[in-house]
Amino acid sequence: MLKRLVERDLYDLLGRIADSYRLRVPGLLDDGTRTLLPWDGQQISLFGEPPQRKPTAYFFPQTDPLLKIDPRGQATSAAVAEKPFALFGLDSIDLAALAFTDRFFSNPPPDDHYLRRRNGALLIGLTGYAGPSREFLPLVKGNCDLELIACGEYWLARAGCKSADHWLAHYPHGDQEQLAVLQRESAQWNHWAAVAVQQAMELLQQDLVPDSFWEEIASRCILCSGCNLACPTCTCFCVQDRQTATGTVRSRVWDSCQLDAFMREASGHNPLGTEALRTRRRIYHKLVADPERWGEPGCVLCGRCDRACPTGIGMFAVTKEIVSRFAISSPD
Amino acid sequence: MTATLTTCPYCGTGCNFYLLRDEDGRLTGVEPAGNHPTSRGQLCIKGWNAHAFVEHPDRLTIPQIRTKGNLQPVDWQTALDLIHEKLSGIAEKHGPDSLMFLSSAKVSNEENYLLMKLARAGYGTNNIDHCARLCHSSTVTGLVETLGSGAMTNSLSCFDETELIFVIGSNTTEQHPLIGSRILQAVWRGAKLIVADSRKIRLARHADLHLRHMNGTDVALLNGLMRQILLEGLENRSFIESRTENFAALEKSLAPFHPEYVGKVTGLLPEQIVSAARMYAEAEKAMIVYAMGITQHSHGVDNVRAVSNLALLTGNLGRPGTGVNPLRGQNNVQGACDMGALPDVYSGYQRVSDPAARLKFSAAWQTRLPEKPGLMSTHAIEAAAAGKIRGMLILGENPMLSDANQNLVRQALEKLEFLVVIDIFPTETAQLADVVLPAACYAERDGTFTSTERRVQRGRKALTPPGEAQADWQILCALLQRCGVNADYVEPGEIMAEISRLTPSYAGISYARLEGNGLQWPCPDAQHPGTPILHREQCARGKGRFSPVAYRPPKELPDASYPLLLNTGRIGIHWHTGSMTRRSHLLDREERSAFVEINPEDAEKLQVRTRQQVKISSRRGAIQAAAKLTERVPPGQIFIPFHFAEGAANALTNNALDPESGIPEFKVCAVRIDPC
Repeated sequence: MLKRLVERDLYDLLGRIADSYRLRVPGLLDDGTRTLLPWDGQQISLFGEPPQRKPTAYFFPQTDPLLKIDPRGQATSAAVAEKPFALFGLDSIDLAALAFTDRFFSNPPPDDHYLRRRNGALLIGLTGYAGPSREFLPLVKGNCDLELIACGEYWLARAGCKSADHWLAHYPHGDQEQLAVLQRESAQWNHWAAVAVQQAMELLQQDLVPDSFWEEIASRCILCSGCNLACPTCTCFCVQDRQTATGTVRSRVWDSCQLDAFMREASGHNPLGTEALRTRRRIYHKLVADPERWGEPGCVLCGRCDRACPTGIGMFAVTKEIVSRFAISSPD
Repeated sequence: MTATLTTCPYCGTGCNFYLLRDEDGRLTGVEPAGNHPTSRGQLCIKGWNAHAFVEHPDRLTIPQIRTKGNLQPVDWQTALDLIHEKLSGIAEKHGPDSLMFLSSAKVSNEENYLLMKLARAGYGTNNIDHCARLCHSSTVTGLVETLGSGAMTNSLSCFDETELIFVIGSNTTEQHPLIGSRILQAVWRGAKLIVADSRKIRLARHADLHLRHMNGTDVALLNGLMRQILLEGLENRSFIESRTENFAALEKSLAPFHPEYVGKVTGLLPEQIVSAARMYAEAEKAMIVYAMGITQHSHGVDNVRAVSNLALLTGNLGRPGTGVNPLRGQNNVQGACDMGALPDVYSGYQRVSDPAARLKFSAAWQTRLPEKPGLMSTHAIEAAAAGKIRGMLILGENPMLSDANQNLVRQALEKLEFLVVIDIFPTETAQLADVVLPAACYAERDGTFTSTERRVQRGRKALTPPGEAQADWQILCALLQRCGVNADYVEPGEIMAEISRLTPSYAGISYARLEGNGLQWPCPDAQHPGTPILHREQCARGKGRFSPVAYRPPKELPDASYPLLLNTGRIGIHWHTGSMTRRSHLLDREERSAFVEINPEDAEKLQVRTRQQVKISSRRGAIQAAAKLTERVPPGQIFIPFHFAEGAANALTNNALDPESGIPEFKVCAVRIDPC
């Protein structure tokens, strides 16, 4: 099913979705950065830079109460809002990140707390000519419930699954030919950093990057942990217990593998006891361990770690450096 | 979800982030402000965790009064009435100068202004001070004398265009991480970096030259550099002639500081001094960056003078990419100074001893004001221990852990007839109080904060305070009203309007104009765009003044009984007395308890293993901490951070004070280590 929506239809669609969901749409924050915000029925920032906040934070927030234990030892799970989220404005990269995280948390044993928020949520892609300055964003391949494809003055719309068809039922049909053109453009689209990340991944998998490189990269780190906290596929958390007058509240809190205490044993011994080892781990996990475990790298090329890193050792920067120093022939 | 843009509560860098709340109103995290000129979508680890302590169950939620030895909950009216009755009673019986008011570099400009108004107009004393006394009081004294303004001369954007950065006594990547990262970016762009620090700090890994001079020998080092610069004719003659005064005296004073002598004093090789002098002086644009390694000495003001002399000698002032750049520690320590939470000045550094300034503030506040400058906080502690200060109000500070010589501080606070503490957590100082008032934290109130680059920025209320806690400005208004001083402000913007009327450097600042990226003072009128670089055409005092200084060693150096030098400070993961960061899960987990850095050579002599508990003693006290064996510290020196109440570094430190700034010598005292 392919439909054609003009802007009025788009707002009508979102209005209907907002009746049943906690709809989040791209909006501008006070400093002009773009993020997903509750929709107040007003104008939406339809085109621009990808939202700064990683989309996985809606289902896996930085601090997330899990349960409360009363003084008698009775545990109660933290309540989850009745209405599920509907996230509008996700590009193919953010949808890939959500798919990656969904798979991680759904993998047995499933993470009930994540899934209680995630199940029933509606993911709405925004692709086509919807990037900064109306640049092209590739179409998505089934990672969303609905996809709106910006085509200049109107949108093509399609459902990612049967259960979402009804949202589009009463709009006129869209032009399949045009979709085919956009699909061809998507097939030819390449992320600017993809080649370097792929080459670096191969070099790492072949163990061609010496330890001295990681010492050098680690020496630039100022231990902010931003790379992990900004990354939409980082899922590590630690557990925080807080005792109040009415019981103990257990929450999970985003963790960072760049911290010494991440792997430190109670004895004080740390198998990842140097910054070089931890920096190496961060990149290896994404580019070596994740492909072995899931068949694809843990980096979806969103660039958030590069933007969050104060000293320029995010994924794009590090992989570029790996390739320039250790590849037999450098990429263009 | 709501996202409230605000200013980070930790260091003076001035990063902005969004506090994020879910539908239930709970804080869920932070997001760095992507387009802010300082944060640029980035934060340090404390910033990323700045939401974590806000809803901690230890938060103070109700006023308390000490009854039969214990703090008991009371209503606000009772607590405030008692405070006023006691403070005014002491002032009446023993004179207003038997009271002391300690303000805070953690509260807003408006709140600092109100507390200084309360001390001066409400209770008739200039005895008001705050923790700048412990960090940059040496800067204010030294730079006012030499340049006419005690603030960072340049802006953070200057790191993007400088040719050389000379970092002396600043562990920048840990204490001002987003400034440290800018220094690193400058290095990778091609700028040169000289680091002068006895410890192998992170920044030193990237330095062209790392000078590990002995703690407390900065004057010798800086004078040595200047002598060498003059010897080689690398000074900026035209700048010296057109923009400075007293050069002849400086030149004369430098004569003894030849490289061999300086090497002997500092422990450096003479050729290192020669290299550093050439490298600094040959740069067209060079920035000096400094912090506590310069200021926290019994000769802290002399250190600052020497830094200033070096910049003047080479003409590194008043231009982009140059300057004397003290990095202010707390997020509003610059503002607390600007607002006159100091014993000798009103807001905008207008002197209480100046009859015209006194008249101006008297007229605005409609009351007579005292003319005698008040006590510095460090002297007030001594006076309290001697029974001369009898009543004290402490707003958001924790001197029990932050001041030198903890035993003296305890003795002083216990001796007070009446102690009020206003805070967000039951700190070690609050435990000693007669009245404890619960305050709103940064996330729960509106206000402004002034960063190290003099950028005045908004802090915004994201959620309501817990329980009955109130914003400090509301508490201070209630006390001002009890004193009969007008304080009917509806919101903090009205307080800023009063500040701008009375403070020339803030005259053009209003809440409306602070939307966006704030304004850098001086901002003298409503159309003024702010001032990124000071001293452009001439220094604030007119001519820059060379102020010659002689080398004086620290007050207490290692000897046979106490053979090791103790250096104290902070670590990147924690903040000051730990009241916030030790209640932030991820930060607390990273460094859970007190430790002492020991060089492996010393550890071997002492037969101390890593993670072993050791006893560290000085002439003033003894603590226990876990040994951390590291070459970060040179042999003969140990380092202890002051965050940990259970191993309080300041039980050991020496309250030897700089005679002019009153700052204690936190960076040098003599200790010994014994196995536990």
